[in-house]
Amino acid sequence: MGTSKSKKRELKAMDNNKYASPYIVGVFLGLVLLSSFIISGRGLGASGAFMSAVVAVEKAVSQDHVDNNAYLAHYGGGEKNPFKKWLVFEILGVLAGGLISGAFAGRIKVETNRGPRITNKQRWIFAAAGGFLFGFGARLARGCASGNALTGGASLALGSWVVMMMMFVGAYSLAYFVRKLWI
Amino acid sequence: MFAPIAVISEWGNGINFLLAFLIGIGFGFAVERGGMGNARKLAMQFYFRDMSVFKIMFTAIITAMFGIILLSSIGWLNVDVMLINPTYLWAGLAGGLIMGFGFILSGY
Repeated sequence: MGTSKSKKRELKAMDNNKYASPYIVGVFLGLVLLSSFIISGRGLGASGAFMSAVVAVEKAVSQDHVDNNAYLAHYGGGEKNPFKKWLVFEILGVLAGGLISGAFAGRIKVETNRGPRITNKQRWIFAAAGGFLFGFGARLARGCASGNALTGGASLALGSWVVMMMMFVGAYSLAYFVRKLWI
Repeated sequence: MFAPIAVISEWGNGINFLLAFLIGIGFGFAVERGGMGNARKLAMQFYFRDMSVFKIMFTAIITAMFGIILLSSIGWLNVDVMLINPTYLWAGLAGGLIMGFGFILSGY
């Protein structure tokens, strides 16, 4: 009895030590975001880098289409290389930074994060469907959780606060109906 | 007034992209360290079982916001040349809602 209790406590402690304190991480992330504004005059982002990849494909298929659409032309009009973008290099850094952190914490492994009541296959199907919606919404709102919520939030951009609040509304309102996915 | 440094000094692509990569490393390290690499942990905030994403996000927003306000009030940071997201109200309302649906389905 005593051993099982202490073992449980040990397991719990391990779980708590798995990730750093959210407040310390928050301050650190805030300072990274602030440095980005001080150095580059812009905040962090993610979905914009995927836009570069999309435009690169569109460019390969039809240069005319890219040139005739102002939004696409911003990324790859004429001779412009869609990958020569600040966000593309920032995202490459994100991959490296995540890998470094995962290596330090011994977390590098292949896994499927899901609730106990669904299969891995179901989880992957919902991941693809959700990713499709998220990608579509991110382009409509001109930014994702990084570009709008984090960066727009810190720079007090009104439109970004609207997007952030709507993200919470969307996720919280659907959460109950899809609870089997996670809990 | 010396910041944003790269904008005021008109630095070229090479150095800007290198700095973007380094800033990205900080960003990636922070979110992984905080557990935002785990979809289930992220989703748990919507069931009020693990609010660390909330805590990380709003601590980061407040930290950066204070820094921006402080540095611009003492005249070091020129917010006029900073890239600040423009407002597209209806697109933002719809896009945010759709992203929220996508978030709870995909976990990210």
